[in-house]
Amino acid sequence: MTSAVGTDTGSNYFVAGDSLRLIEHPEILPAGFPLQIKPLPIKNRYEGDKGAIANGAKLFVGYNCLDCHGADGSGAMGPSFQDGRWHFGGSPGDVFESIYQGRPDGMPAWGGRISNEQIWILTAYVRSLSSKDLSTENFTGKTVERTGH
Amino acid sequence: MKRVLLGHAAIATLMAVAACNGGDKGATADSASGSEPQVTSGAATGTASTSGARIAVAHAGPPGEWQMPAGDYASSRYSELASITPQNAANLHVSWAFSTGVLRGHEGQPLVVGNTMYVVTPYPNVSYAIDLAQTGQPLKWKFRPDNSQQAIGRACCDVVNRGATYADGRIFYNLLDGHTVAIDAVTGNQVWRTKMGDLSRGETITMAPIVVKGKVIVGSSGGEMGVRGWIAALDAATGKEVWRAYNIGPDKDVKVGPKFKPFYAHDRGKDLGATSWPGDTWKTGGGAVWGWLSYDPALNLIYHGTSNPGPWNENQRTGDNKWTASILARDADTGEMVWALQVTPHDMWDYDAVNENILVDLPIKGQMRKVLVHFDRNGFAYTIDRATGEILLAEPFVPMNWSTGIDMATGRPNVVETKKTAQDKNVKDICPSLEGGKNQQPAAFSPQTGLFYVPTNNLCMDFQARAVTYIAGTPFIGGNAPEKGGPGGYRGEFIAWDATTGKKIWGIKEPYPVWGGALATAGGVVFYGTLDGWFKAVDARSGKVLWQFKVGSGVVGNPVTYTGPDGKQYVAIYAGIGGDMGLLIAGDVAANLPYDVRERGTTLPDIARWTSWGGELFVFSL
Ligand code: HEC
Repeated sequence: MTSAVGTDTGSNYFVAGDSLRLIEHPEILPAGFPLQIKPLPIKNRYEGDKGAIANGAKLFVGYNCLDCHGADGSGAMGPSFQDGRWHFGGSPGDVFESIYQGRPDGMPAWGGRISNEQIWILTAYVRSLSSKDLSTENFTGKTVERTGH
Repeated sequence: MKRVLLGHAAIATLMAVAACNGGDKGATADSASGSEPQVTSGAATGTASTSGARIAVAHAGPPGEWQMPAGDYASSRYSELASITPQNAANLHVSWAFSTGVLRGHEGQPLVVGNTMYVVTPYPNVSYAIDLAQTGQPLKWKFRPDNSQQAIGRACCDVVNRGATYADGRIFYNLLDGHTVAIDAVTGNQVWRTKMGDLSRGETITMAPIVVKGKVIVGSSGGEMGVRGWIAALDAATGKEVWRAYNIGPDKDVKVGPKFKPFYAHDRGKDLGATSWPGDTWKTGGGAVWGWLSYDPALNLIYHGTSNPGPWNENQRTGDNKWTASILARDADTGEMVWALQVTPHDMWDYDAVNENILVDLPIKGQMRKVLVHFDRNGFAYTIDRATGEILLAEPFVPMNWSTGIDMATGRPNVVETKKTAQDKNVKDICPSLEGGKNQQPAAFSPQTGLFYVPTNNLCMDFQARAVTYIAGTPFIGGNAPEKGGPGGYRGEFIAWDATTGKKIWGIKEPYPVWGGALATAGGVVFYGTLDGWFKAVDARSGKVLWQFKVGSGVVGNPVTYTGPDGKQYVAIYAGIGGDMGLLIAGDVAANLPYDVRERGTTLPDIARWTSWGGELFVFSL
């Protein structure tokens, strides 16, 4: 992990696990500055809320997310949400950002077009779909229904 | 509509095929007929009844080149090259191969001009010029266009490109993000680039252009995105738009004027492209031009089909919805409509009419007729007078149950009441499925046999329509249509078709839809590839499989043949599963997306056993 740093004698490079090397002059830090950086995840108040998730499922159809992401998010023009895998991160904050800002390969930006409230509800729904471990595909197993365009 | 009766001759051929062909293990789980390709026939004779049949327009350039998507304006996909014959086809082998560097669906075909082969990849639509005259086939150039990433997620059915065309020292092709480009064939430099489609409204371009009298003809994709479909002509020299005709809307936009003389009464009237829709629903009504183009120089007509109406939910667009699901003939100079035939009025099954229109002269009822032969998604094979749009013959070429036949007085299909789809209803077991009896995979015609060689699908569907809101840049579909294998336990069949009688002469059943196109040659051998990755050479007369080779990834592209600098006949094909079948239907054939792992679909339950995504050009010779 440190090879990029190893060739450089300076100390002003970020090294994983040693974030303070980023700072050339630690003496300027205010008193009480946390030496360990703890992630403060963005929370979604609808996370796991059954009613909100049911509403999210309706929004998912109503905003035509379904036709790009497949029935129950099984994947179509856009990626699957059933596999527990995420391209842009799967935390509530990441998923909110994907929906709000859009993503480069053709995911439309919904921020400003629909309310933030609805984006949080969609976030809860989309996250509720990712449960299956699809790592192994065994060709004797069952199948899912798909539809073409 | 099942044609399962075997004539004696057909059984003999079947046994011969089974005996010579032990390699194909592409069985499906529920395949009743086992894994070997099988020959069935509706006609006991096994020979075509045609004679004097000819292709309407000559091959483009020398016979040893392939300068246009289908080899000629007639869309015949026939070559005069005759070195490869039924006697020697078993000796075919790989001469060389080339990785395109891109995965996803490799629909379309390469071009060969002089000693150079031109290849266009799926998105990002890189083009390559390959030097055939040097050992190892080095590149002369490659061109990497500026092509918006946003297009990837806006293209309904994979990021395919159906190929380039050549004229006057330039290569012309379309970019997925809605641009048309002209590339200098010698240097690889971009000569011009014109924005034709509006990506923010879901317009992409996947079709292969043709050049007619100095104009590049292109059309839009996006029938699932609520686009308003169009076809346009660009000046090949400058890239400036010369004309653009919409397929829906008022006569002025659709280019309906004094020249318009449709054959059937229901296709006549003022502003039908707008008035056959409720309110202004035509503005988001689809009718895209993502399929193949043909041109008859004698009549100066361009022929093209139009896509399904949007949305799929018919409830939101009562009326005929003209000119969606139609075959249109337009004046090549102006784009004016000369005739129109709406093959599926008020389509409610997603039966686009964009499949190729093959221009041939055929003896019909003792008389030579100038016809256009079209194998529609709706399951009917049409033989049409190409000067007038009159249907001479229309017969089902695949198992179907949504219609009992075409009313020859009106040209309209008789629709089975119980197979009509409707909002909030689940209509079961409609055949063919929304993929159609045939989709983009183009057929070929041989004047030697008088037969059409047609890659077909045998799928059925349940159709659940629902209300949908138009949101620009998102799908405007309003329906779900899970598919399953059609009757007979096979999902595709490669058939030989007599368009003078409307009869199947022979067929090779395949475990999967045949999503790759056909090539017919004067050697009496036809070629096609399969979704499970077999490339096959077949006797044009008997349907006997002469040779097959497993190319690694499923074939959704179209074979071409050319003469190499060494004078030998070569056959080239792309391997690279994709398109609707590879992206949406198969689901699980990708391996390069760690963040997008999919379950397999019911329609092609074990296709991923046989193939993964790929992107390779294979070239074969004796
Ligand atoms: C036009 C098609 C389309 C529509 C409509 C669409 N998406 Fe997407 N979406 C995509 C594509 C394509 C991607 C992948 C983008 C990329 O890789 O850059 C994506 C990505 C995402 C991601 C990120 C997935 C990951 O693996 O990190 C989320 C979350 C998402 N979409 C949610 C939604 C929701 C919710 C809606 C409806 C409000 C929606 N999408 C509508 C095409 C679409």
